[in-house]
Amino acid sequence: MKRQAIAEALRDAIAEEMERDETVFCIGEDIAVPGGWGGAFTVTLGLEKRFPDRMINTPIAELGFFGIAVGAAMMGMRPIADVQYGDFLFLASDQIINNAAKMRYMSGGRCQVPLVMRAPVGATGRGSQHAQNMERYFTGVPGLKVVAVSNAYDAKGILKSAVRDDNPILIFEHKLLYGSKGARVESGAVDATSDIPENDYIVPLDQAEVRQSGSDVTILAWLLMLHVSLAAGQQLASENVDAEVIDVRSLSPIDYQTIGDSVKKTGRVVIIEEGPKTGGVSAEIAAGIQERFGRYLKAPVIRVASPDVPVPFSPILENAYRPNVTQIMQAARRLIDG
Amino acid sequence: MKFELKMPDLSTTGSPIKVVHWLVAIGDVVERGQAVLEVETDKATMEVEAINNGKLLEMIVAAGQEANAGEVLAIIGTEESSAPTALEAGRPLQTQLPKKYDRDFLLGLYERMVLIRQFEDRVKTLFLEGIMPGTIHQCQGQEATAVGVCAALKEDDFITSTFRSHGHALAKGLTVQEMLDELFGAMTGCCKGKGGSMHMGNIEKGMIPGIAIVAGGIPVAAGMALAFKMRKTRQVVACFFGDGGVAEGAFHEAVNMAALWSLPALFICENNLYGASTRIDQVMKNTTVSDRAASYGFRGETVDGNDLLTVYEAAQRAVEECRTDQGPVLLELLTYRRTGHSRRDPCHYQPKEERADWSNKDPIVRFAQALLADGDIDQTDLDAIRERIDREIEAAVEQAKTAPQPPLSDLLTDVYA
Repeated sequence: MKRQAIAEALRDAIAEEMERDETVFCIGEDIAVPGGWGGAFTVTLGLEKRFPDRMINTPIAELGFFGIAVGAAMMGMRPIADVQYGDFLFLASDQIINNAAKMRYMSGGRCQVPLVMRAPVGATGRGSQHAQNMERYFTGVPGLKVVAVSNAYDAKGILKSAVRDDNPILIFEHKLLYGSKGARVESGAVDATSDIPENDYIVPLDQAEVRQSGSDVTILAWLLMLHVSLAAGQQLASENVDAEVIDVRSLSPIDYQTIGDSVKKTGRVVIIEEGPKTGGVSAEIAAGIQERFGRYLKAPVIRVASPDVPVPFSPILENAYRPNVTQIMQAARRLIDG
Repeated sequence: MKFELKMPDLSTTGSPIKVVHWLVAIGDVVERGQAVLEVETDKATMEVEAINNGKLLEMIVAAGQEANAGEVLAIIGTEESSAPTALEAGRPLQTQLPKKYDRDFLLGLYERMVLIRQFEDRVKTLFLEGIMPGTIHQCQGQEATAVGVCAALKEDDFITSTFRSHGHALAKGLTVQEMLDELFGAMTGCCKGKGGSMHMGNIEKGMIPGIAIVAGGIPVAAGMALAFKMRKTRQVVACFFGDGGVAEGAFHEAVNMAALWSLPALFICENNLYGASTRIDQVMKNTTVSDRAASYGFRGETVDGNDLLTVYEAAQRAVEECRTDQGPVLLELLTYRRTGHSRRDPCHYQPKEERADWSNKDPIVRFAQALLADGDIDQTDLDAIRERIDREIEAAVEQAKTAPQPPLSDLLTDVYA
């Protein structure tokens, strides 16, 4: 057992999968430069020394190298492609949505694209274009699986599951949760370290996880907002509100089994999302709960999300953009007090 | 044989279409593709073309009358097969046959080109008759590019294609039956009816589904080549795209990386002068596509894309380079699209002289002339091939018309592994 942050856990997961299966390789920008960064957040740091032929360092060409990853995956490789910032997925999205996600279907099941894609998201003092939460743009794409990791244990186990899965999988990671060190350290970082077992393990791609049990209200969140929700859950406990906090984790497909069990118990739901409220993943989850478990609800589902604005730069505004503990507590109390 | 000329499915509202006037008279000899009558829909006045060569034998709907899509307008009689023969064209010999190729190989190439032409012509008829669903992008006039390149590949090499994928698929070895079934949306099609005309392919035969986003297949092909190189399989990929794809970022990003990593990829630009309705000189300052290769540090070459053996030999050189780690190669094949961009496109933007000029450079006619001039092959050999293909296609059409449609449960399958 060792204590690791997400960046280290992902690095080990990648290395172990490359060790296990020689068709696994990494492709991306600045991922394999000796003396470099190991990607924007140190995840692949040093891997080029161990796997000189399987760390493909690309030009700045997201559309091109995501397409290359798709083609290689179709020919039996298992690429792990990453973007430095999630916002750049827009450049690659033709390849992700039109090719990776649809290839199995439009070939009548003859082709497969076992492709893992990694993307850092979240508002972190970089203004509007290195900051968006991109989950919403990909959760409604049939053929794609979308997951979001909030701690190091999950990051390692989910990456391994993704590499071994025969579908294209997009993993969202949060910049403030990596625990990146050295020059790539993030100010305002949140501790997402875990005890990592020595043995090989995987975490399933399609399951939510109850992080704190409770019976009064269900709080659903992922990535950084999961950590903010856990803090809110603890404060609510001191006010005798028994909150159940669930890490949604699998954003496509959504695990309505775990969520439903909680809704049946509490009858009250708050969904927390970093990103504009309109058109968010939280809207999809709210509708999904309404359709499936509406009769168990004691009050309408509440969403706590960012306002409908681009991510601002000024730290005071950026903090106001991100949902916080107070807003989550207020929402929970509003549901309980009626 | 007699063919029925039916009212094309031109109306967007399903209302009857009026015959304005006939452009030919009974007894006139018409050619396939020739405008025979003018019709007026709720949207526009359009010409209806003959779907086969022959004499106008009967005129069933007179000028001023209306007809619904699919109704028979006229009977055109013919005993000619629709692929052009060397004798029809009467052009001087433009291709000298090198002595090194054997007779069966040459006849095989001829057969493949005729197969593509006949297939496309038959499919066009089926669409115009409203029997076949969807849309089509056809490649009549471009047969030498597909056949010449694929002849230089091994069976385990791969190709990628575009929305204009029928010719490439036939050249790579997909069967007429699996393709027609696919076009009819049948579950016996090469993509179980889930791909259609624009996504024709069969990975087991070395062709991934056609990628219908312009230039979208170019990075994918580079990735396939990367996989071959990493796995040291010595396979190559030939990536077909049109002149329109060259303006896309995907082209530039992909060829840059392919050059950087010396990938075994043939980038085959079928320059047919038009991206949809826009001529290349309206969208490129430098209209020599192969020049792009030099700026990325690899070899580019432009050759006559309507000369089968020239294409074949250029592709062979490129394949050889790719197999010996000297790839990639950008091969620009000059050719011409004789049909519309997609169905219902009457090609009014292509000047008449230009069409006539390229019609005289028909790749099948030129190759046939060369074969006949060689002495070893005579017109009977070619006729026999064309007749055999006619029969093969007709049989496949009949089977495809009643091929099993997918069960509704297929809607939900093949999304995830």
